[in-house]
Amino acid sequence: MRLVVVILLVVAAGLLAAVPLLGDAVLVQYGINALLVATLAQSWNIIGGFAGYPSFGNSVFFGLGIYGTAIAMTQFGLPFGVGLCLGAALAVLCALLFGLPVLRLRGHYFAIATLGLSFAVAAVISNLEIAGANIGLILPLIRADGMFYELALGLLVACVLCVYAISRSRFGMGLIAIREDEDAAASMGVNTTLYKTAALMIAAFFTSIAGGIHAYWITFIDPASSFDPTLNVRMVIMAMFGGPGTVLGPVFGALVLSAIYEMLASWISTAAALLFGLVIVIAVIFMPRGLADLAVGLRRHGPGYLLQNIRRHRI
Amino acid sequence: MSAAPILEVRDLTKRFQGLISINRVSFAIEEGEILALIGPNGAGKTTLVNLISGTLAANEGEIRFQGAHIGGLPPFRRARLGIARTFQVMKPFPSLTALDNVAVGALFGLQGGARTRAAAREQARQLLAFTGLAARAEQDAVALGGPDRKRLELAKALALRPKLLLLDEVMAGLNAVEIEEVVEVIKQIRDSGVTILIIEHVMKAVRQLADRVLVLHHGELIAQGSTDSVFKDPKVVEAYLGKRRA
Amino acid sequence: MLLAQIIVNGILLGGLYGLMALGMALVWGVLNIVNLAHGAFVMLGGYAVYFLFTGAGIDPFLALPIAMAIMFAFGYLLQLIVLNQIIRSAQLNTLLITFGLDVVLTYLAQLLFSADFRTISPSYAGANITVLGITIPLARLAAFGIAWLLAAILWFILNRLAFGRSIRATAQNLIAARLYGVNPRQLYAVTFGIGAALAGAAGGLYGIVSHLSPYVGAPLTAKAFVIAVIGGLDNPLSVILAGLVIGIAESLAALYFGPTYANVISFGLLVAILVLRPARSLRAA
Repeated sequence: MRLVVVILLVVAAGLLAAVPLLGDAVLVQYGINALLVATLAQSWNIIGGFAGYPSFGNSVFFGLGIYGTAIAMTQFGLPFGVGLCLGAALAVLCALLFGLPVLRLRGHYFAIATLGLSFAVAAVISNLEIAGANIGLILPLIRADGMFYELALGLLVACVLCVYAISRSRFGMGLIAIREDEDAAASMGVNTTLYKTAALMIAAFFTSIAGGIHAYWITFIDPASSFDPTLNVRMVIMAMFGGPGTVLGPVFGALVLSAIYEMLASWISTAAALLFGLVIVIAVIFMPRGLADLAVGLRRHGPGYLLQNIRRHRI
Repeated sequence: MSAAPILEVRDLTKRFQGLISINRVSFAIEEGEILALIGPNGAGKTTLVNLISGTLAANEGEIRFQGAHIGGLPPFRRARLGIARTFQVMKPFPSLTALDNVAVGALFGLQGGARTRAAAREQARQLLAFTGLAARAEQDAVALGGPDRKRLELAKALALRPKLLLLDEVMAGLNAVEIEEVVEVIKQIRDSGVTILIIEHVMKAVRQLADRVLVLHHGELIAQGSTDSVFKDPKVVEAYLGKRRA
Repeated sequence: MLLAQIIVNGILLGGLYGLMALGMALVWGVLNIVNLAHGAFVMLGGYAVYFLFTGAGIDPFLALPIAMAIMFAFGYLLQLIVLNQIIRSAQLNTLLITFGLDVVLTYLAQLLFSADFRTISPSYAGANITVLGITIPLARLAAFGIAWLLAAILWFILNRLAFGRSIRATAQNLIAARLYGVNPRQLYAVTFGIGAALAGAAGGLYGIVSHLSPYVGAPLTAKAFVIAVIGGLDNPLSVILAGLVIGIAESLAALYFGPTYANVISFGLLVAILVLRPARSLRAA
């Protein structure tokens, strides 16, 4: 069973990598966005899905990745690779500094604190001269959508492999224990503070690299779109939709939801967002544990699975 | 036995918003003994265990484990030193199997525990067999019934390969046969070299297991000694039954 | 004098912010739902008052109770039909479903009402009184007063009426409350309805002192979060006070650091309070 899955995944990755060869520019652009957002969802999965700490502020790492790369390239003339490293360093440092106090909160409070932090950091950065203040920055122009596509795909693959490694490791077990019952986990020897913070830092790393790629690709960056707060909810929804705490769930969730959104947008443009919202509402009611659980549940219990969820969670 | 006590508690005090929950409690546990902690409900027994395991921090007093101060250590460090506990309100990891529940302890236990998940699961299997849960290894913890959950709590604590085991009402809700089984298991644990502090209401078990008994009432230690002397102590009787009408 | 004016502005605005947060705090405290669509409810209430004013000629302040009734019915049905189905699942799910609802409501509003800015401007909208050299717009003063009035009414309901006791009991212990005959479905629906009604009132007032568009909701939700956390989920009056704190802090921040930092201050305060607050006052996650 496992070998079949691996082969399928390799084939899928190969197919995805071949998309730029089709010559459809719009598809490639859509692909870059979808792949980057899938990385965001998968990164969120580490802190939100495995460790059970639902961060609503990961957009700040995306923004730091964007600005780190942009500042390095525009203000200091450094190459793209160095820019990515700077962005990642900023994001990981931010995760460490803010993570330590904020990870002491739980549930809703943690979610709100991260949301608040992302707003605050965004506001601070958007006032810095070196970051172009409110106007933003313009990176060196490069027309290479194909390259960005492959970079985004490569990043997603790396992120998936990382999550896979986590899921098989002692570290991952510790994160899951923290999610299931943090006090019991601590009593059993799990260094909860270290693990939670590490999870946040790893998530920050991948999120920021995605930001750096996005920055160079999109060329014009400004604070509003770089630190877009709705990005937070989108990545959480995609991860939850796909199946938090699983290895591939968030990736599927992100790709499926992106596709749904694109189809709705091209089909009924004005009402696309409206219908998207409805999709979310329906998904939370009928498949609150995501696609991964839906797949397993339908196989085991048939369509009754959908009603089961309501019966289990209604008052 | 002239070795130093494995656990020494001196003048331990815990306050919650002005209310004193544990009041200058001092005692010691000798290595290899089974010490029972009894007292009416609300006496502070679980709070005391929380203070020893690190789940709560004391306001005053000191705790020494194997001679070293552990007062400032977080729970996970105390677990790695060899202090394990069960929770009275059982805390399984709900979406993990019974096997994985125990494996977590094996992975993170004494001095960092087993290095790989496979090794940890092996240890977990043995512990599940020891506590009679071998048949339930692959079931989700949340699907287990009451007595099985108790066994799981015990197996999880044992997975840490502890030197000191704190048992919080492991017999609650068990019938006579199950109590006998648990008593046997606890004796075997003691025989393997583990020191045990057991909070219990089931006096039959206390009589069978305890080398010494501590009695806690309103956060204070009102008696300690052998089971016989403690059960006859008028202060203890009064604590449980109330003042005799003159 | 400028400082005094700024502070007074902050106080008046803060009262309205507090009213906005009131509904969110109630729903959060009783149902443990953090309603990400709360700002959308505010927005809808505002539009209700707007159309009652422009369409039916009803004075906005008189239209408030009508808008509140409409929003109550809306919230009641929403809870009964939709939210009650998922309320016992993971906390995160209520965040997500209310986010979805927010998206739906915002875009519905855009489709129905267009994205144009609207203001509710009754003839007396510009009137001011001047006290000790400080200009106080009457509309804002009225909004401030209404905020306190509604908070006081809510306090009265929660603490002096039997029904309010049921609400508080359910907030503390659902199982025990059920044993005493509380019907949780009804109670939740009514509570959510009250939260929506309060949001609607805030929206109507907001439309008078500021403006309305389909997108005003999101920043207001964020502000309501902050105020609900600072004010606590137990006492309506402390929520209004927290609103005042935020109102003053924002005004001062705008004066000394510029408008962009106003948000930073709110959120900085929020994070600081969350992190530094003693653990006992946090609900277990």
